[in-house]
Amino acid sequence: MSKWFATICTVFLCLVAGAGASLADTYEAIKKRGKIVVGVKADYRPWGYRDPSGELVGLEIDMAKDLADTLAVDLELVPVVGSNRMEFLNQEKIDIIIATMGDNMKRRKVVTMIEPNYYAGGTNIIASKAAGFENWTDLKNQKICGIQGAYYNRRVLQLYKIDLVAFKGVPEAVNALQQGSCVGFVYDNTWIEKTLAEGGEWEAYEMPFETEDPSVWAIGVRHEDADSPFGLMVKGKVADWHRTGWLLEHEQKWGIKRSPFLVEMNEALKTRAK
Amino acid sequence: MSGARKHRSVGGTGNLAVLKPFSLHNAAPSAWRLQPGHGYMLFAALVLFVLVGEVQAAPARPSIIATMWKWTPFLLQGFAFNILISFVSIIIGTMAGAALGLGQISVSRPIRAVSWTVTQFFRNAPWLVLLFYCIFLIPFEFELFGVTIPFPAWIKAVIGLSLPVMANFSEIVRGAVQSIPDGQWEAAESLAYTRRQTLWLIVLPQCIKRMLPPWMNLYAVLTMATPLVSIVGVGEGMTTTGEILAAENRSDLLIPFYMYLLCLFFIYCYPIARWTISLERKFAVKI
Repeated sequence: MSKWFATICTVFLCLVAGAGASLADTYEAIKKRGKIVVGVKADYRPWGYRDPSGELVGLEIDMAKDLADTLAVDLELVPVVGSNRMEFLNQEKIDIIIATMGDNMKRRKVVTMIEPNYYAGGTNIIASKAAGFENWTDLKNQKICGIQGAYYNRRVLQLYKIDLVAFKGVPEAVNALQQGSCVGFVYDNTWIEKTLAEGGEWEAYEMPFETEDPSVWAIGVRHEDADSPFGLMVKGKVADWHRTGWLLEHEQKWGIKRSPFLVEMNEALKTRAK
Repeated sequence: MSGARKHRSVGGTGNLAVLKPFSLHNAAPSAWRLQPGHGYMLFAALVLFVLVGEVQAAPARPSIIATMWKWTPFLLQGFAFNILISFVSIIIGTMAGAALGLGQISVSRPIRAVSWTVTQFFRNAPWLVLLFYCIFLIPFEFELFGVTIPFPAWIKAVIGLSLPVMANFSEIVRGAVQSIPDGQWEAAESLAYTRRQTLWLIVLPQCIKRMLPPWMNLYAVLTMATPLVSIVGVGEGMTTTGEILAAENRSDLLIPFYMYLLCLFFIYCYPIARWTISLERKFAVKI
């Protein structure tokens, strides 16, 4: 009995001693662990999604890989969704968020947004050409499909008084659009452009409006990493991706329509470097 | 006279007129039972959806069947997680439920009252609501004597599913014990068995076979409830299907893929249901 007790106590003491060595600095922690844990999307093609073997792939996954290579550590990817990514970061379940996160003031209170931003998207709708929409105001009281919890929902609802029918994911919303349950689908313009370019069943659809509400996307880190070696390293890395044209190259690799934001950033940083 | 002759003639061929026993099975109206045919019908529905999809699909695209085949390993991975969650939940729920059920038949009034309250509370609360509570109230990791014990979301989901399982099993235990005739308790008492001995040596062994069919039923219900955890952000078959659909970005796959997942659940739960029925028949109380 006492032998057992002693064993249990020893095990506990070892665990306590081990945990005591936990490090506050993210960079040191990553190096010690030998891997960086990145929160990414698993349902946002082509930024982060699954290939048939279940592996995560996409432009943001490439960014995470490049980051891990720079730090010379292994990479662990954790799928996140909009509602849990900042929580995971602050609970230290992940070291960094690269998950199509829009940069806004409200979120800046919770996490530190890495500047420069790495992408910029906007809001638009995809609708049947037959619907003949010309202006955002045409959407008043029309049934429009959307995605639950998207940041632009509120704005579109308030400005254009649409009748929003929110779905869990893109396939459900698209199915509803094609079945005629709604006349349009409000989503991010990069996805709409990519989908329309595929043709086929999308021939009869269009993106009728000017893209609105441009919002920049940012990598997120914890507040204590705002000026830490880790945070500064990530900032430098993003600037480098812009300057060297890495992002433009990978944008093309993943079939995303050339973004004016990336071209602009590339130009600006190239000139500044000279 | 003619009857006698007939009798003789029948007897001549070596057969005697026999009154066949009254067959209860044939007399009773045919009951609706789960039969293999129902499984075939479900499979036929899947094939139908796939074929309709194939006809509608643009010719340039890979066929639906090829796409489903391509994603099968990944989908099965997700489904395996459903089974894992159901296994762990039923184990935790059964152990806790057994304790609670015995508490409900305790001689001590406070224990009985507490057990009854807990059972009724969790038995009558919606499963999804309990899941939400567990996901958001239980911390992400525990700090115990300076050691951080991580508490991943799927374990929280398992606890959330175990609670209603516990309450339902508690009722199964209470019902089984009460279904044993009082005479057995009295007989045991007259043979100088203590209450505990009567319970453990006489009553509970008989209860086990009575509890088995409802317990298996509960397991099948639990397994079919596991996709609920996808709503609280735990990855399983439902999440996997969503991710596949997002990766394929083809709306014609929506219905075939969800039907595919449904068939996987059916294939898993159907033998359990059949086995439960046969056990019920075997253990049916004969009066």
